[in-house]
Amino acid sequence: MTLLDRKKAPAAAPPRPAGPTGVAAWFRDLGLGIRLAAGGGREGWIRTALTAVGVGLGVALLLTAASVPHLLEERSARDQARVESRVPGGPDAQAKKSDTSVLRINRETEYHGRSVSGYLMRADGTHPALPPGVARFPGADEMTVSPALKKLLDSPEGRLLKERVPYRITGTIADSGLVSPGDLLYYAGSDTLTSADGGHRIAAYGNPEGGKEMPPILIVLIIMICVVLLVPVAIFIATAVRFGGDRRDRRLAALRLVGTDIRMTRRIAAGEALFGAVLGLLIGGVLFLVGRGFVGRIEVWNVSVFPSDLVPSAALTALVAVSVPAAAVLVTLAAMRSVVIEPLGVVRGGRGRRRRFWWRLLMPVAGLVVLLLSDKVEPYATVNPYPIAGGAVLVLVGLALLLPWLVEACVNRLHGGPVPWQLATRRLQLSSSAASRAVSGITVAVAGAVALQMLFAAVGDEFNRLTGQDPSRAQFYTFSEKVDPEAATRTIQEFKATKGVTAVIGKVEVYVTRPGKYPEDAVQPTTSLIVGDCGTLRELARIGSCTDGDTFVVHPRNDKEMSDWVDQTARKGKEVEIDPGAGRKPMRWTLPADSRTVVARHDPLGEDSWGIMATTGAVDPSKLPGATTQTQIRVDESVEDVAEYVRNTAARIDPGMRVASLKSVARDEKYASVQRGLQVGATMTLLLIAAAMLVSQLEQLRERKRLLSVLVAFGTRRSTLAWSVLWQTAVPVLIGLVVAVAGGLGLGAALIAMLDKKVTDWWLFLPMTGAGAALILLVTLVSLPPLWRMMRPDGLRTE
Amino acid sequence: MIPAGSLLSADGLHKAYGRTPALDGASFSIHPGEVVAVMGPSGSGKSTLLHCLAGIVTPDRGTITYAGRELSAMSDAERSALRRSEFGFVFQFGQLVPELTCVENIALPIRLNGTKRKDAERTARHWLERLEVEDVGAKRPGEVSGGQGQRVAVARALAASPKVIFADEPTGALDSLNGERVMELLTEAARSANVAVVLVTHEARVAAYSDRDVTVRDGRTRDLEHTA
Repeated sequence: MTLLDRKKAPAAAPPRPAGPTGVAAWFRDLGLGIRLAAGGGREGWIRTALTAVGVGLGVALLLTAASVPHLLEERSARDQARVESRVPGGPDAQAKKSDTSVLRINRETEYHGRSVSGYLMRADGTHPALPPGVARFPGADEMTVSPALKKLLDSPEGRLLKERVPYRITGTIADSGLVSPGDLLYYAGSDTLTSADGGHRIAAYGNPEGGKEMPPILIVLIIMICVVLLVPVAIFIATAVRFGGDRRDRRLAALRLVGTDIRMTRRIAAGEALFGAVLGLLIGGVLFLVGRGFVGRIEVWNVSVFPSDLVPSAALTALVAVSVPAAAVLVTLAAMRSVVIEPLGVVRGGRGRRRRFWWRLLMPVAGLVVLLLSDKVEPYATVNPYPIAGGAVLVLVGLALLLPWLVEACVNRLHGGPVPWQLATRRLQLSSSAASRAVSGITVAVAGAVALQMLFAAVGDEFNRLTGQDPSRAQFYTFSEKVDPEAATRTIQEFKATKGVTAVIGKVEVYVTRPGKYPEDAVQPTTSLIVGDCGTLRELARIGSCTDGDTFVVHPRNDKEMSDWVDQTARKGKEVEIDPGAGRKPMRWTLPADSRTVVARHDPLGEDSWGIMATTGAVDPSKLPGATTQTQIRVDESVEDVAEYVRNTAARIDPGMRVASLKSVARDEKYASVQRGLQVGATMTLLLIAAAMLVSQLEQLRERKRLLSVLVAFGTRRSTLAWSVLWQTAVPVLIGLVVAVAGGLGLGAALIAMLDKKVTDWWLFLPMTGAGAALILLVTLVSLPPLWRMMRPDGLRTE
Repeated sequence: MIPAGSLLSADGLHKAYGRTPALDGASFSIHPGEVVAVMGPSGSGKSTLLHCLAGIVTPDRGTITYAGRELSAMSDAERSALRRSEFGFVFQFGQLVPELTCVENIALPIRLNGTKRKDAERTARHWLERLEVEDVGAKRPGEVSGGQGQRVAVARALAASPKVIFADEPTGALDSLNGERVMELLTEAARSANVAVVLVTHEARVAAYSDRDVTVRDGRTRDLEHTA
């Protein structure tokens, strides 16, 4: 027996407690992941912060989107609350005069491209109905204004508007009387307004029935906008969860060395992602609340909102709060499947498995099938949003899934080329996943935008009407309901004297009849007598030569029946009777025998006038009882603020005079506001995508800091590396854009088929692809300064 | 003072990183075809001296002359061009571009000089053969062993026909057997091509491959001629 044999065998180590299993193991590992994310030193915090800020931005956008239903509801309610209450007897029926009734006239105008709403009001009694948000009925020449209008009027920019709205400000309209903080609205008092001036009597405010419902096509557009804008946000959140993944994988490799198995590693990674996502939720909440505080002060494309309107729906908020952390865990677990983390710190992309094509194609095809098999959207039917939204989501998410396969397949076929190209393509060949992830957002956004553009173009005819107006012949027209012969002449003269006005087509019009007695059941021949100068008459009819004192009989074009009807009244050398109205004695005038018969032409408004036309030398317009005035004004558009001068002249002549711009196309206001909403949303989404691409790019550069320093040591030119960064961004983006265009055209065509319309333009993808290309340049340019910094020789130092 | 016939020399170099001095009056010279080991403990300033000599880092004071030209008088672009055409580099870690194959890695500095891809890759294959790693040409750095990777790095340093090779701990990440083979190949190839080698190391057995040692301590240099 040796000493060794005698030595007592060591006491058996107490049995180790078995580690937790099942749910408990999940909690333990998630907890460890959270501790690593929270206490992982500077590196850990950088990664967590990147994820949290990325998720936070996405969550802030989702909360904004979740507030849209409440926002629209509140805006609509306030809008309807300030509409006049309807009285029985049709839309034009007026209220009866009472102690509370108010006579008012709409003084809506436009200033520097923005709409300014306004009413001139006169109380009938001592207790006039007050519009919402107005505390006191304005006295004569006083007005209560919205804060935005007050600010504009107080600023030098509002100088010309002040001339048009010359009333003294005595009050401010409260928020309850405004749709948005940017509303330009005023209520002015008058003690002279009458019905003869165009005044309309109302009894109260508020339309309990609500506004007109949205047409089904617009609902389809809105659903698509929501899908198109929110799917990239969801993709962005999924991308943000994986920010800094390479560094995390190295840390996990160290954990493998001390005994964690693969499943534990995945759960720890999920814990890290969960922490980042929850922190992101909190940051998103804070960003939303901070942004909400500022939102009342900003205005984008004339869109502004009250902070109090931005209240996310409780159900949608709960959905965001649950789905974002859950998505973070799921995305991380899915991502970990393609990574092999070994104990010796070696992290390799699982290269054995090639990406498969067929299941990735399944989703977009399924989406298209859903859309094509769905019921057609009928003009007056209720729209079922689920197949539209579901089909569109399937197509767009399917495109995001197709992209990694396509990028991999394409870059693997790229060979040769100059050094920057080779560096970029080889980098992509080694790992295209990060690039595909970064680009998937832009792919989905562009595909959605292409589909939306196609939809807008296809349904545009429903909302954009060709007016027949010719803005090259005149840019404005005015119309006054005020019946005042003297005012007619003055109107034309004053417009002629307005700065920037080059021509005035001013016609004074009155109805004339053929004198005589007619049976009760017979129609008395009637036509128009239009008085203007030669210039004006030339715009209304093909009169040829003209001198003051000339008169014409004007026939409509290609309408024999109507021409005969005109001739029944307009008999050369015979009298016509001018009806002065209001029971006064008719006036008679003889149409000169030498009047020429000519044919009418479209005026700049696109309308035809016929009957008798007389120059001012033949008929004095100021002597025509009951005449109305209409002017069409041609201006020198190079004169700054010429439109405002015209509107100011109109307001000076007659506060009730309407001034409108001539447009060849008239757009429906709801359609226009949906398009504006798309613009705002698309801008925010593209900025978010640019941020995601930038973070991804910087992360890759950071990972390669040492390598970049080595390349610089070789004497590699900065331009070589800059081009390589550009190609590295551009190649996946270009492939992404091809996918986006193809997918967008397919989705657009399917949606258009659903609406039973035809594709009007297949080339609408060009602007969006241009925006995508601009994004590549932007991201590359912004990446360059950090790239220069990382190319410093510091990266070579190891001590 | 510049020693006669030297290809690269430095005199009175000072360099500080913040308040920490890395070089404090260091001097150095090397002749064509000479292998000089720069030795010293960690943090002594060896790598900083190498970076200054290679024109990667500009010294705060002192002169560096390469082939009669003053390095500090050159612009960044001129120094980059010099590194591309006259110098080669071997580092301890991270010197190979992971996404390029070994042939492409070796061809990279040649291509940066404007040589066509096919010609550059032909030269690269020749050097792969000389460094006894011809079978790894189509592989990426992540798919080859540390020793093979370091031979590829040496091949890359030599492929552009440089006049000086700067090797910073070239065997630091290798086992002794692989390390010695890499040093043999590097020094043999350099001497046969009359290429000077500045070899930064803290290992005596690596320094044994040099003709002369320069010791750096606290940012100052001391020249030691090999007697054996």
